[in-house]
Amino acid sequence: MIYDPIDIALLLGKIALVFFVILTLAAYLVFAERKVLAWIQDRKGPNRVGPFGLLQPLADLIKLLTKEDFRPIGADKWLFYLAPAMAAIPAIMIFAIVPFGAPLTLFGHTVQLQVSDLNVGLLLFMALSSVAVYGVALGGWASNSKYALLGSIRGLAQLISYELSMGLSLVPVVMLARSFRLSDIVNAQAGCWFIVYQPLAFMIFLISIAAECKRIPFDLPEAEGELVAGFHTEYSGMRFGLFFVGEYINIIVLGGLATTFFLGGWHGPFLPPAVWFSAKVLAFAFLFIWVRGTLPRLRYDQLMHFGWKILTPLALVNILVTGWWLVLRG
Amino acid sequence: MPKLIIDDITVEVAEGTTVLEAAQAVDIPIPHFCWHPALGKAGACRACAVKMLEGPVKGIQMSCMLPVQDGMVVSTTDPEAVAMRRHIIEWLMINHPHDCPVCDEGGECQLQDFTIAAGHGIRRYSGKKRTHVNQDLGPFIQHEMNRCIQCYRCVRYYQEYAGGTDFGVMGSAGRVYFGRFQDGELESPFSGNLVDICPTGVFTDKTARFRARYWDYEMAPSVCSGCSLGCNTTPVARYRELLKITARKNEAVNGWFICDRGRFSNSAVNDPQRPRTPLVDGRESTRDEALEALALRIAETEQLYGTGSIAIVGSSRLALEAALLLPQLAQLTSAGALCYFTSEEERATTTSHLGLLSGGTSASQQEIRESDCIVVSGCDPLQDAPMLALAVRQAWRDGATVYVVGDGIVLPCEFTAVAAVDAVPLAAAKKPVLICSASCNSDHPAGLLVQHSQLKLAVIFPAANSYGAAQLAGEQGGVSLERAVASGKIKGIISVEADIPAHLLAGIPFVAALDWRMTETVRAAQIFLPTTAWVEMDGTSINNEGRAQRFKKVMNPGLPIRGLDPAGHPPHLHRTVPPGGEAQPAWQTLALLIERVSGEPVTEPFSGRWERLRGLDAGSEGVMIHDL
Amino acid sequence: MKILSDIAALVTGMWITWKHIFRRPVTIQYPEEKRTPYPRYRARIVLTRDPDGGERCVACQLCSGACPVDCITMQSAEDKDGRRYAEWFRINFSRCIFCGFCAEACPTLAIQMTPDFEICKRDIMDLVYEKEDLLIDGCGKSPDYNYYRHAGIGVTQPRGSGAEEKPPVDVRGLLP
Ligand code: SF4
Ligand code: SF4
Ligand code: SF4
Ligand code: SF4
Repeated sequence: MIYDPIDIALLLGKIALVFFVILTLAAYLVFAERKVLAWIQDRKGPNRVGPFGLLQPLADLIKLLTKEDFRPIGADKWLFYLAPAMAAIPAIMIFAIVPFGAPLTLFGHTVQLQVSDLNVGLLLFMALSSVAVYGVALGGWASNSKYALLGSIRGLAQLISYELSMGLSLVPVVMLARSFRLSDIVNAQAGCWFIVYQPLAFMIFLISIAAECKRIPFDLPEAEGELVAGFHTEYSGMRFGLFFVGEYINIIVLGGLATTFFLGGWHGPFLPPAVWFSAKVLAFAFLFIWVRGTLPRLRYDQLMHFGWKILTPLALVNILVTGWWLVLRG
Repeated sequence: MPKLIIDDITVEVAEGTTVLEAAQAVDIPIPHFCWHPALGKAGACRACAVKMLEGPVKGIQMSCMLPVQDGMVVSTTDPEAVAMRRHIIEWLMINHPHDCPVCDEGGECQLQDFTIAAGHGIRRYSGKKRTHVNQDLGPFIQHEMNRCIQCYRCVRYYQEYAGGTDFGVMGSAGRVYFGRFQDGELESPFSGNLVDICPTGVFTDKTARFRARYWDYEMAPSVCSGCSLGCNTTPVARYRELLKITARKNEAVNGWFICDRGRFSNSAVNDPQRPRTPLVDGRESTRDEALEALALRIAETEQLYGTGSIAIVGSSRLALEAALLLPQLAQLTSAGALCYFTSEEERATTTSHLGLLSGGTSASQQEIRESDCIVVSGCDPLQDAPMLALAVRQAWRDGATVYVVGDGIVLPCEFTAVAAVDAVPLAAAKKPVLICSASCNSDHPAGLLVQHSQLKLAVIFPAANSYGAAQLAGEQGGVSLERAVASGKIKGIISVEADIPAHLLAGIPFVAALDWRMTETVRAAQIFLPTTAWVEMDGTSINNEGRAQRFKKVMNPGLPIRGLDPAGHPPHLHRTVPPGGEAQPAWQTLALLIERVSGEPVTEPFSGRWERLRGLDAGSEGVMIHDL
Repeated sequence: MKILSDIAALVTGMWITWKHIFRRPVTIQYPEEKRTPYPRYRARIVLTRDPDGGERCVACQLCSGACPVDCITMQSAEDKDGRRYAEWFRINFSRCIFCGFCAEACPTLAIQMTPDFEICKRDIMDLVYEKEDLLIDGCGKSPDYNYYRHAGIGVTQPRGSGAEEKPPVDVRGLLP
């Protein structure tokens, strides 16, 4: 237990820092996505607000805040208001357990660059990512709209299916690191990143997190071509903004976790650890944008088929092989 | 019954049907101009060519001229027949002036439809076009002879069907001309049907000249309110203006045509003087205020003069829906009199004639057309119910003998004048019909009906819904307003579309009126509520045979768009209710009044034995009310 | 193996999009940079006049009938000389989708599309153009055509003297 006021101040400082950095990053990730997609499509992208369009996120924010806050007739008022928060808050809470740099020494205190170094960090992540499903489910249900309902049903099934393969792909990581504590996992990769031992688990995890943050090619819950905007069809203004920003927070957080589990976390030569960490996370974000600019959306049966008949069995086999190998190695 | 195959569909039709009609019976359209269901065939246009593949005749044949025979196999799509029809249309179009954009027929033109259907699109003929000079045919019909395709429908209709003598065909070869010998108004009272019958734009309605196109028309099945026959019409409106009225087919009633009086009767609806806002003591108000004031005045009048001092007055032009609510209102206000008629004489004669018609003795126009012996007794059909005269002519064309009792009566056919009905050999006739008028009681035919069981009666009533009014007056114990006022008790009158003469209103302290016309009663009323004209509402009326017919709403009530903005175009404004659009069908206003007085909402005017009229289809032949 | 070719397809796709990131954008920065549209570009609609200076439109309602969004309305009327013309003629440009169907339907070549596409307004009611806003002094894209010289009704010339017309028939003449 921490009683030292400096410790408490540091903790609050870390929380504030994490909030600020992640929210800003999420906003600029939206901007980056629009820019990169524009380049992929030989366009210029947003370039009117501020130099190179850099103030575009601010303009978007003002727009979202000043838009009419609309609620459909017959919508379940409280659930309708609750759902966007349920989507965004668990996403940002997951970041509490992500170590984003090597421990520092400040004022004679050793500071973990991590909000909370929980001994069951990985399990907390699994739990919180399950809670995020409620945002989608409740948002669609409470809207009293057929598109939203269809979107949320799709979302429910998709998130539950892919959570399974995601969890299973992390079991070998735990087996290698022999801990659920994320700082232990990072430290276990000081020599060699787990991606080298576990390329298959990494691929499964990558695909699963793409499905978790409902990104193309797994954006069936939103599927604007079929369902208008899926589970958030009926949302407007800042409530829509919360759903929207939640998605980008999710990208950052899940990118951070992928870094932590497979790419050695903040480990890396020459550059400071925090920079390494950020670089890896941004690389993931870029990968997601790039994939979005390239791939089409899956069909729903393909999605389910892929999740249950390919990813999950593969992950199980991978666990067996890993265990066998660990036993052989002693 | 002969059986034949048309385009692989087996058809069985009655003996004497033509191939064209047989094809129509199974919805195979064959282009045609000269053939018309009411006029029959002429074989003049050659547009209906089909190919006979098997059977007694073979090769290209005119389907309108060919009676069906057993074993015929007909193809309308055979390349030879298609080519024939294409060439025919091309020839018909050689002299056509190509002025569809400035032709009022454009959009509802058979020639356009069949030209396109036949696939003729590009003019190959490089010669010059034959032209004609037009005639001035009076204020109702526009003449544009260049558009004629020589189908002879007009002259066959005008001379043979309608019995007109001042219009015909002149010239020869490529110069045939359809018109009068010299300019002048067409004399036949049925000349307006030329507009409907001509398949091109030679005859168009001058009163609706250059006003709208078919695709902009607001149309609905309706019933003429010109006389008691209730001919079926399709009024045409646009921008809250009644543009014209066209005939609508109803075999049992008017057949295919209507008379000129019904056709060119849109001025009452378009009258700029029409009262459109509710008035309380001459002050414009809302409908609610006026109803409030009306309920108050009714109560006041009764307080002042005692119960039974109010008279509720309907009329024989009032639609059945409103007429049915009057008894309810009379009961609620404990009215002293429920009147469907103002004059005692009209009430008496109408009611007594109505008595003759119960039990299926009334003759429809179709029965007149099919009759073999017709007696016109003491009435002038051409004046009071023109289509009846046209029906008599059709019977005469089929060989019926026509007798006329009375002087100065003109009919569009030959007839024998007799001194009295007794002089007519009615007993020898199979389907005799007696035509008489309810406004003349002199020659009451009750005795004849008893004598001749096969005799049918066509009574001409004074107004469109006289039958309904008399029926209700009989059922509800209605008196005439004349009688009621004479009793001296009446101190307040609520007039619902009634035309009350000034002398009956004199000395009545309280008058309220519901109407859509500017009548003397409306001017005299202290409280006025606007109602809708028949084209602005759904309603029912009962014609002279006791046939209840539904008419549908054609347009919204309100001031026409024309003239709303001084700039000449419609205003730049968004409105939900048009100016002057507060008018409501009379029965709905009555229902609101009843609700105000009794607290019970009225949602449906038809109840009890009238319930069967609720879903009456305006496109049907109507329902005979003695069947109810 | 199918899975290998699938992966190859994915990688090819990713490679193509990757290359496009570095291409020069094709965007034209509109209000600063402008392109001259081709003469047949379909934008603001005008009503033209015939070579003799008369209004070409005969208010036949074909354009309003053809318009898929019903943004043309008019009222036809008859002039003293029998000419059919538009008493008022309105195009609601806030609804128009500039499909050009009206111009295609017009039998008199009256209604024509112009390349002027910059017709935004602050007040949507200002986009309702009346006849005086639409009518121009000129023939537009077809300088020679005068509908009334070809149509059979005698408005610009006596009956029977229009293009490709014989003089009127004398019905009472006895010659065959
Ligand atoms: S008659 Fe028919 S084809 Fe001839 S100008 Fe009129 S609309 Fe056109
Ligand atoms: S005027 Fe009309 S109905 Fe008469 S022949 Fe010519 S086209 Fe036929
Ligand atoms: S361009 Fe198309 S939408 Fe516009 S007025 Fe013409 S027909 Fe209507
Ligand atoms: S189609 Fe041409 S002539 Fe006809 S109304 Fe439209 S603009 Fe006028």
